[in-house]
Amino acid sequence: MASVPLPSADHVADGDVQAPSRADCASWLPRDREWLLLAGYGVAFLALHRLAILWSGTGYYSLWFPAAGVRLALFWRFGARLAPTAALTEIAVQCLTGIVVFTQPEWPRAIFGVASPVLAYGIAVSVVRRVADGATGSLATAPMPLGLASVLAPLTAVAFALPWSIIRPDLTNVASVRDVIASLTGFAVGDMLGVLLIAPPLLWIADLSSGRTVMPAMFPSRRHIAEAILVLGLSLALVATLATIGLGLPATPVLLAIAWIGLRFGRAAAWAAIVVTAILVLPETTGAVPVDQRLALHMSLAAVTVVGYLAGSFADAEARALAAVARRDRMLFQAERLKTLRAMSVAVIHEISQPLSTLAIEARHLVEISARADPEIAETARLIERKTATLSTLVRRLRRFGGRAVDEPSLLPVATLLDTVTALARPEASVAGVAIRIAPVDPEWTVMAQEIEIAQALVNLVRNAVQATDDGVVEIAVTRRDDRIAIAVVNHCTDHPLVHEGMGVGSLVAKAIVEAHGGTLSRADRGLARIAHVVTLPLAETPIGYVA
Amino acid sequence: MTLTLCSPATVYVLDDDDDLGASVARLLMRHGHVAQAFVDPIALLRDYPRTPAACIISDVMMGDMDGFAFADAVRELDPDVALVFMTAWPTTANAVDSVRRYGGLDYLEKPIDEDRLLTAVAEGVAWSNGRRLLTRRTALLTTRERQVFDMLVRGHSNKAIAGALGLSIKTIENHRAAIVTKTGTNGLAQLIALVS
Repeated sequence: MASVPLPSADHVADGDVQAPSRADCASWLPRDREWLLLAGYGVAFLALHRLAILWSGTGYYSLWFPAAGVRLALFWRFGARLAPTAALTEIAVQCLTGIVVFTQPEWPRAIFGVASPVLAYGIAVSVVRRVADGATGSLATAPMPLGLASVLAPLTAVAFALPWSIIRPDLTNVASVRDVIASLTGFAVGDMLGVLLIAPPLLWIADLSSGRTVMPAMFPSRRHIAEAILVLGLSLALVATLATIGLGLPATPVLLAIAWIGLRFGRAAAWAAIVVTAILVLPETTGAVPVDQRLALHMSLAAVTVVGYLAGSFADAEARALAAVARRDRMLFQAERLKTLRAMSVAVIHEISQPLSTLAIEARHLVEISARADPEIAETARLIERKTATLSTLVRRLRRFGGRAVDEPSLLPVATLLDTVTALARPEASVAGVAIRIAPVDPEWTVMAQEIEIAQALVNLVRNAVQATDDGVVEIAVTRRDDRIAIAVVNHCTDHPLVHEGMGVGSLVAKAIVEAHGGTLSRADRGLARIAHVVTLPLAETPIGYVA
Repeated sequence: MTLTLCSPATVYVLDDDDDLGASVARLLMRHGHVAQAFVDPIALLRDYPRTPAACIISDVMMGDMDGFAFADAVRELDPDVALVFMTAWPTTANAVDSVRRYGGLDYLEKPIDEDRLLTAVAEGVAWSNGRRLLTRRTALLTTRERQVFDMLVRGHSNKAIAGALGLSIKTIENHRAAIVTKTGTNGLAQLIALVS
C-alpha cells in the first residue's frame, strides 16, 4: 500500500500546487502490477492493430482503430505517466510485426511514428485532467472530462503527425493537399471511433473490478428493452429502405433513435445501441470502398456515438440528481427523527438528574457515617458513592451534546476534536475497509468552536475521503502557522470517483460551518493523485489553568 | 417584618422534588445550618416574613412559579437574603440572568456538586449577615445623616460633602459625630469596614 505524504505547513497555508518532487519525476516508471498491465496492453494492442487493418486506406492506417480506445482507457485509469512505457510497449510490438526494422535506414522515423500518438494521448489526458481539476461546473462534471479527452487525444495525435505529412508526404503515399487532408481526417476519425467505442466499456469494467462502481441494482425491464429495439430497428430499417431506393445513406434516423435511447435509458443503453449500429456499419466499410463514402460513414458513426453518449450522460445525470434528492429527503426525515430523539433524551437527562442529585448527596453522607462501621458496610457505601459520582459525570456529559438548545462556542483542544471526528467516522470507514490515521497533534493547540458543528464539518470531509481513497487509507494531519492551525484530510486517488453519493451539499455545509468559525476550507492537491482538503481555523488563546 | 441576624444561619431549600429538597436540607444541617425544605414557592413566601432566612437555594424550573419569579418576590420581602439557584436544565442565558438580574450568588447544575453548594451557601450566609448588620446599624440614621454617611464611606472629605449638600462644614461635623454614635463605630475606618 503506497503511503501518502502529508502536506507541509507551507503548502497547507498557501493552498498551492506542489511542484513535482524527485520521486514524482521518476513516477513514470510502472509500479508493482502495472508491468503486468502493460504486458496485457501490448497483447491487446497487437490483436486490435491487426483487426484495424481491415479498414486501412491510403495515407492512414485505419478508419476504425480500437487500440486507441484501450490506450486512452489505460492512461485515463492509471495516469498519463504510463505514456512513455506504453510507447515502448507499442514499439516492441511493432518490432515483432515488422513495422519497425532497425536494419532499415528509416527506423528512427518509424519509431517516432509509433511513439508520437502514444505521447500525444498522454499529453492530452494530462492536460484534460489538470483543466478539469481546476474547473468548476460542467467542465469538471463527469463524464465531460472523459468526453473531452476522447476528442482531444486523437486531435493531438493528428497535430503531431501534421509536420511529417507536410515535410515527408512520400512516407504515407500521399501526393496532393487533398490526400494529406484525407489522410489526417481518416487518422482522426479512426482513432476517435476506436476511443468512443472501446474506452467507456473498458473503464466501466475497470471500475467494476476495483469496486469504484457497482452493477446496476435493477436490469432494464423487458418493456424498456423492447422499446429500445423497436426504435433502433425502425431507424435502421428506414436507412436501409432509403439506401435501397437510391436515396443515399443518411445517418439522421439512427442518430435520433440513439439519442432517444440515451435520453430514455442512459449511457449504458446508448452504448449498446451504438455497438449494434457499429457492428452493422463497420463490416460494410471494409475492403475496396471509395474513400469518400467510407469517411462519410465513419464520421456519421462518430457523430451518432457522440450524440448517444451526450444523451445518455444527460439521462444518467438526471437519474443521479433524482437519487440525490431522494437521499436528501431521507436525511431530512432522519434529521427530524433525531430532533425528536434529542428532545426525548433531554427530558430523560432531566428526569435522571433529579433523583441522581439526591442519591449523590445521600451516598456521600452514607460514606461519612459508615466510616467507622463494619468494613463491608463502609466498602459498600464507598462503592455506591463512586458509582453515583460516575453517573453524575455521565449525565453532565450527555447534557453537553443533547441538552443545549444551541451549541455554544467553547475552547476546544484540536486533539479532542479529532478524537470525536474519528470516533464518528470510523464505523463507516471500517465497513469500507479504510483506515483513518492521525498524525500526533500538539495537545496545547486549542480553537474556539462550536464542537458539534465543527465536528460535523470534519466528519463530512473524512467521509468523502473514505469514499474517494483508492489505497484504503485516509490521513489527518494538523500543522500550525502563526496564529492559525490547518487540519488536512488527505487521501490517495488516481481517478475521480464515478460513484456520486450526493450533490455536494455536504461540502457546502462544511464550508459554511468552517467560514462561520473564521476559517477556510480549500482543496490543495499536491502532485500525483494526492488530494488534500484543508480546514484552517484561528488558534484560541488558552486561559491559564484551563484543563481540557 | 423584623429582620435579625441568624446564628446559626437559617437556609431554605426550595425544590418541587421533595426528596431532593429534604436531602439538601439534611446536608446543610450536617454542616451547621438550620435548614428547611419547601416544595411550594407560594408557601415559602407566605411563611417568610415571620421566619426570614440568610440564604435560599431555589430550583429554577418549578410548577406555577419558576425560580426567577420567586427571586423577585422574595427580594421584595427581604433584599438582604442570599440566593443560590440550581437547575437540571442549565443554559448560558439563565446562568447569566440568575447572577446579573436576580442577584444569585451561584447557578448550580444538577446533579449537584456538593462542595460547590456548601461554598456558595457559606458565602451567601456571610453576605447576608453583613447586609443585615449594616441595615441594623444604619436604621437609626436620619435621611440627611444617611446622605452624609453614603458620601463619607465613598471617601469624600467634610468640605466636599458640605459643598455637595449645600451645608456648612460645622453641620457636616455634627452629622458625622451622630453617625459614629448611632452605628456604634469609633471613626471613619470602622464606618468603611461596615459597608465593605
